[in-house]
Amino acid sequence: MSEAITPDDAARRRAFAEVVEPEIEVMLRVARSITGSAADAEDLVQESLVRAFRAIDRFDGRHPRAWLLTIVRNTNSNMHRRRRPIAVDDWELIHASRPAFGSVESPAAEEVYVVQELDGALQAAVAGLDPKFRSALVLVDVHDLSYAEAAAVLDVPVGTVMSRLSRARERVRKALGPTFTTTRGEQS
Amino acid sequence: MTGALRQMVTCHWTARRLQRYLDADPAAPLTPGEITRLEEHVATCERCSEVMRQHRLLHRALSLWSGRRPVDPASVDRMRTVLDDLIDGRQT
Ligand SMILES: [Zn+2]
Repeated sequence: MSEAITPDDAARRRAFAEVVEPEIEVMLRVARSITGSAADAEDLVQESLVRAFRAIDRFDGRHPRAWLLTIVRNTNSNMHRRRRPIAVDDWELIHASRPAFGSVESPAAEEVYVVQELDGALQAAVAGLDPKFRSALVLVDVHDLSYAEAAAVLDVPVGTVMSRLSRARERVRKALGPTFTTTRGEQS
Repeated sequence: MTGALRQMVTCHWTARRLQRYLDADPAAPLTPGEITRLEEHVATCERCSEVMRQHRLLHRALSLWSGRRPVDPASVDRMRTVLDDLIDGRQT
C-alpha cells in the first residue's frame, strides 16, 4: 500500500532526486573501492539510497556528495557485522584493465608518452604505500574526490586526509625519481 | 639574510603550500597573497618548478587510472530505478 504524497512532499522528493541522481556514479565508484566488487557496490549503493531518502530531513542541502559518501561509509559499516577500517583496494583491479587513453579526452601525444613511461614504476610505488596513505591517494588523485569527500569516506578529519595525501604523494614522487629524470628532456 | 638562505627559506615555504596550491581544494584555500608569492618563487626557482612538474604529472597519471575501469552504465541505470522507486513511494 502506498501512502498519500502531499504536494510539499512531492516537491521535496523531486529535490532529493535532483541532488542525488548526479552522484550515483561516484557513489558506485567509491562503493566498488570499498567493497572490491561491482555487485557488492550495487547492494551498498542501493541500501545507501534508501537510508539517504529516510534521512532527507537531516540534510542541509550543502555538499551533497560528502553527505552521500558519509552514508555509504556508515551503511557499509552497518552491513558488515565486524567494523573494519575502510580499505580502498580497487587500484589493483584497475590494473587488471587496459589503459584507456582517449576515453575521456585526448591528452597530447607527449603526455601519453611520459605517462606510459611512468606507469609501471607508478604502480609499484603505489603498491608499496601503507594502505592508509594509499587510500587517500586513490580517493583524491584517482577518483577525484575533494578533501572533504575523501574525509567522509575514510571517517577522518580533513587535515588527516591532507597529511596522508601529502606523505603518499611525496613517497611516490621520490620512488619515481629516476623515471622522472629520464622523462625530463624528452618532453620537448 | 644572504640570497641563498632567503632562497632556501622560500623553497621550504613553497613546499609546505604546494599541495594546497595544486589541488585548489575549497577546504584549504591559499590566500591570494600566498598564491602570488608561490607563483613568483616557482617562476624563478628551478628546483621548485621541477617538483611542481612532477606532482602535476603524477596527478595526471593517477587520474587516468579511473578511466581504466569505468562504472558500468547498466549499474548506474539500476540505481536510477531504485531512486525513482523511492521518490515515487514504491519503496520505503
Ligand atoms: Zn624553490
